[in-house]
Amino acid sequence: MFAYLIASGISTGALYAMVAIGLVLVYRSTGHINFSHGELFMFGGFIAYTFFVILGAPYFLSLIVAVIGGFALGVLCDRTVYRPLIKAPALTMVLATVGFSFLIKGVARFFWGAREGGDYVAFPAAVDPTPIPIGGIMVFPQQLLVLGGAFFFVVVFTIFFRRTRWGKMMQATAENATAAFLSGIRVERVYTMTWGTGACIASAAAVLMAPLTLLSPDVGFNLLLRAFAATVLGGLGSMPGAIIGGFLVGIIESLAGGYIHTGLQEVSAFIIIIVVLVFRPAGLFGIRKLRET
Amino acid sequence: MLRIFSRRNVVAAGLVFFAVLPFVANPYVIFIGNLALMYILLSVGLNMLLGYAGQLAFAHAALFGVGAYTTGLLKLEFDLHYGLALVAGVVLATVTGVAVAMPALRLRGLYLALATVAFAQATLWVFMHWNSVTYGGAGFRVPPLDFEPFTARPDIGVYVLSYLIVLAGIPLGWNLLRSRVGRAWVAIRESEVAAESLGIDITRYKTIAYAVSAMYAGAAGGLFAGMLGIVTPESFDLFQVIVHFCMVIVGGLGSIWGGVLGAVGLVYLQEVLRAFRHLQEIAFGGLILFTVLVIPGGAVSLLKRYVPGWKEPLRRTEHDK
Repeated sequence: MFAYLIASGISTGALYAMVAIGLVLVYRSTGHINFSHGELFMFGGFIAYTFFVILGAPYFLSLIVAVIGGFALGVLCDRTVYRPLIKAPALTMVLATVGFSFLIKGVARFFWGAREGGDYVAFPAAVDPTPIPIGGIMVFPQQLLVLGGAFFFVVVFTIFFRRTRWGKMMQATAENATAAFLSGIRVERVYTMTWGTGACIASAAAVLMAPLTLLSPDVGFNLLLRAFAATVLGGLGSMPGAIIGGFLVGIIESLAGGYIHTGLQEVSAFIIIIVVLVFRPAGLFGIRKLRET
Repeated sequence: MLRIFSRRNVVAAGLVFFAVLPFVANPYVIFIGNLALMYILLSVGLNMLLGYAGQLAFAHAALFGVGAYTTGLLKLEFDLHYGLALVAGVVLATVTGVAVAMPALRLRGLYLALATVAFAQATLWVFMHWNSVTYGGAGFRVPPLDFEPFTARPDIGVYVLSYLIVLAGIPLGWNLLRSRVGRAWVAIRESEVAAESLGIDITRYKTIAYAVSAMYAGAAGGLFAGMLGIVTPESFDLFQVIVHFCMVIVGGLGSIWGGVLGAVGLVYLQEVLRAFRHLQEIAFGGLILFTVLVIPGGAVSLLKRYVPGWKEPLRRTEHDK
């Protein structure tokens, strides 16, 4: 029981970590939290659904299309929401991203929602759905795929962030936008890239997750809250913190759901957010002091 | 020429309109009018917290729900007089609002937004899962209302009660904002440090802001339970907050009358799109985005600019426009 719960906690935690990475990436470079990040995630999932289920394309191809589509949507978010409001107070930006998130959600519901029997659509498994035993516990191959995929994306992203020119420009901008601008970095392009990259990791996470659960236009907000919990737990603004936080949230949820009460699985993320923010706002690995935003 | 559209005239016309409505309209139109009155209360309350005190809290729909559940359940389980149940709903919502304020006082900006989103979702979860009390996801029906010692058709009774509460609520808010409290809120919104150095007790005035806005939300919730006759958790989800935000933003953040205009205007929109959830989301999300991008001061800022007689105390500062 325990091993099974841990295993499923780790695989969902990997997804939370992926969504949280995008959130932190945008937060670090812009100082704003993207409340529409969950909807970018959801939309990526539906793009893949369109290709994989409706058009019958291979899973891998759908994944790539979803990642590209996610990037485009992230760029759109940057152009329509962030860029015009770059000097606006934090409150305005939150309201604007919340508005944007509902706009996307409505569009997604228009195209893919409201079928007979509710808004949920099934996303068939990409790999053989029979569970295989590993070390005495039954694991779904899709869970392994999720874990492998998440690991792959985190590694690729880390290399991109640490080694490539664009990654270094992003780091520089996050560190000090003015100094980055003065050393010739086109800060605005970096922002665009940041929003796009964040959204594309979220889309990849959605494509990995979809076969394990169902896909619906409302799924984004749940994932956003999990990612909030992960980032808050790891310390808002800390990238390794967000990844570890993601796994922790996944495991805590799974254990709380398994041992205490099934309903607690849904609510534990909210409890984590409130408790951490009230008692330890810097999070477990908070590297920055409390920012006044 | 435009002077006849000054605030005084528009408000007077509105008062007459809402007073005459129950005598001339059919039950459906009365229901929409009643919804409008309820949303006016919600938006006045939210505007104090969000527009004046500058606290980005997402808990408003949850407090609205607390008011609705308390009123409805007291009526259902103990057959309490509707008026008393409504008062109890207001009290419990206010207490919950203060309870939210306790931890919220320590948080600012984004952290506050995150914590209150989590609080709102946790409250919704309680409505959904505390089956023995809240009847779970399916909700419950509120028994028919009585208005002893008055005899009235239930829907007209709720309507008149809503009208009277709005009639008391708007001047209360208006005067509160022109008092020391309102000025303290604006000072806190503009800069907490500056406000504190002026000797403003930040903790105290923030708590008052949460309590007062929760009070309005609770009253609206109690009326909602009475007029709809059914209470379900979905009525108080995140989309409900979006509707409240949209009314306040489109009408004008930091303007009581702007919020009132937004509420009245958008109730109609919501009613037209009632059957189409996706169109509601697109409309309300899009309107928030559009207003924030194009007319940050909301509809009332246009009125202030082009129509005489809409000036208000405690306007937003220049750079916020």
